[in-house]
Amino acid sequence: MTPGIDLQQRFIETLRDLGLPQGVAKVAWLPLPMILIIIGATLGVLVTVWLERKISAAAQQRIGPEFAGPLGILQAVADGLKLVFKADIVPAKADPWLFTLAPVIVVFPAFLSYLIVPFGQNLLISNVGIGIFLWISLSSIAPIGLMMAGYSSNNKYSLLGGLRAVAQSISYEVPLALAVLAVVMMSNSLSTIDIVEQQSGYGILGWNVWRQPIGLILFWIAALAETERLPFDLPEAEEELVAGYQTEYSGMKFGLFYVASYVNLVLSALLASILYFGGWDFPIPLTVVSGWLSINETGPIFQIVVASLGITMTLLKAYFFVFLAILLRWTVPRVRIDQLLDLGWKFLLPIGLVNLLLTAGLKLAFPFAFGG
Amino acid sequence: MLNFLSKVTGYAQETVQAARYIGQGLSVTFDHMRRRPVTVQYPYEKLIPSERFRGRIHFEFDKCISCEVCVRVCPINLPVVDWEYNKESKKKQLKHYSIDFGVCIFCANCVEYCPTNCLSVTEEYELATYDRHELNFDSVAMGRLPYKVTEDPAVTPLRELAYLPEGVMDPHGVPQTVRRAGQRPEEILEQMEVPEKKPAGQKAEASSSKETQE
Repeated sequence: MTPGIDLQQRFIETLRDLGLPQGVAKVAWLPLPMILIIIGATLGVLVTVWLERKISAAAQQRIGPEFAGPLGILQAVADGLKLVFKADIVPAKADPWLFTLAPVIVVFPAFLSYLIVPFGQNLLISNVGIGIFLWISLSSIAPIGLMMAGYSSNNKYSLLGGLRAVAQSISYEVPLALAVLAVVMMSNSLSTIDIVEQQSGYGILGWNVWRQPIGLILFWIAALAETERLPFDLPEAEEELVAGYQTEYSGMKFGLFYVASYVNLVLSALLASILYFGGWDFPIPLTVVSGWLSINETGPIFQIVVASLGITMTLLKAYFFVFLAILLRWTVPRVRIDQLLDLGWKFLLPIGLVNLLLTAGLKLAFPFAFGG
Repeated sequence: MLNFLSKVTGYAQETVQAARYIGQGLSVTFDHMRRRPVTVQYPYEKLIPSERFRGRIHFEFDKCISCEVCVRVCPINLPVVDWEYNKESKKKQLKHYSIDFGVCIFCANCVEYCPTNCLSVTEEYELATYDRHELNFDSVAMGRLPYKVTEDPAVTPLRELAYLPEGVMDPHGVPQTVRRAGQRPEEILEQMEVPEKKPAGQKAEASSSKETQE
């Protein structure tokens, strides 16, 4: 396996050739991937909102957004702009500080989690050693924000929504972590890069779906609950709680919650594709393809093609999961709060434990196939 | 132990069943995605109301004999018939007539029972106003005829599903002249007349075929 393109190295070397010291060159590099990822995540949200509206419309035999741009692509931008310009209302009896801080706390970890999402061998902000664990720990910050939003709004619907959000997020964190743990156990590393590396080499056959089918289902159910999407959108159940913890929010503060929910959805989809669908890995091993076409593997053009193919593959796989989430939204009805907790604690948790034990056993029995 | 195992198998079966149902549901939703949108892009497109459409009621002042049958057959006695006895002609003379379409349920019972046919239904259904009192139509307002959808240059008229030619599902781009699926009333009448003659013909045919066989 070739290391692929290392943009950071190149950039720093170029700057050093221009006469800048190593430290300055590194500092000059740092904001670039961050800004790129933030822009990418925001664009991802816009695309997802558009997709959600279009796919929802198709599932209900409607047309969906049509007039804002070709095929209504700009509809999400128009919605976002509208939210930016809307009046920002803080209810008189709300706690202004907590009320303002809550959406920030919700949206911040969502964007921060993109730190560990790899789009290629070196195409990620930081290959932190704790990798996937960072995401799990960051995602438990959001419930605090939701609780703050619910409590500070001084509204019964908000409070109930906030409490539900916290109960749901915390209880589904456990099966989510268990599902991730099984994958981590197979790849012997928490790093997302290593997890993808361990799956690559055999093309589609090497992906974790075949070794962790239960884990994938577990992960996806828990991820849907974490992102509060139907069938688990109890915190904002509009028929009962108006909009849950967002009831009192308007303008861009509401927009932040909205963005956070979609960023979380895309993030979960990306991580599902990384953990179970081999991330940037092409269904056919690219070394085999280059062998057929007798292309030099270290050539610059091949490297660029591989990198862009990797990004495309990651996004394709992620958007497959987004599509699945949207389709599920119109297929399954919302569960009750007791059913939700039942499912989380009495079904997903035992299944997760069994899956973990099974993985451990298989790892001992077949170390070659389960990453011994 | 056995009890526990049977419980576990029962639970597993239930889970599999639930997963199958969700899969079925997903296939239904997925199937819906490739279907044609049923959207009518109102106000740019409008459906052509059917012949039996019961819209806003039309009223012809001069035909009315102030008999108040419309009031009596109305479920809520809605029409207001203001008349005066004319001693010279010894007839009731109508002064005002009005129906409040904010209250009307468009059952068209009044149209059904009107002895002089001074009431009729139109295909107008766009009755939205900013003030509900504007919906209280007097005889002048009720005497107006609505603008036809097919004659409005700003609107693309769309036929309803039952009025499309056979096999066509999409009303867009279907020419006005193409006839709808099924038979016209006069054709049905023609067909109904045929069976009266048919038995004789059939007999003749049957006998002739018998003869040829023999």
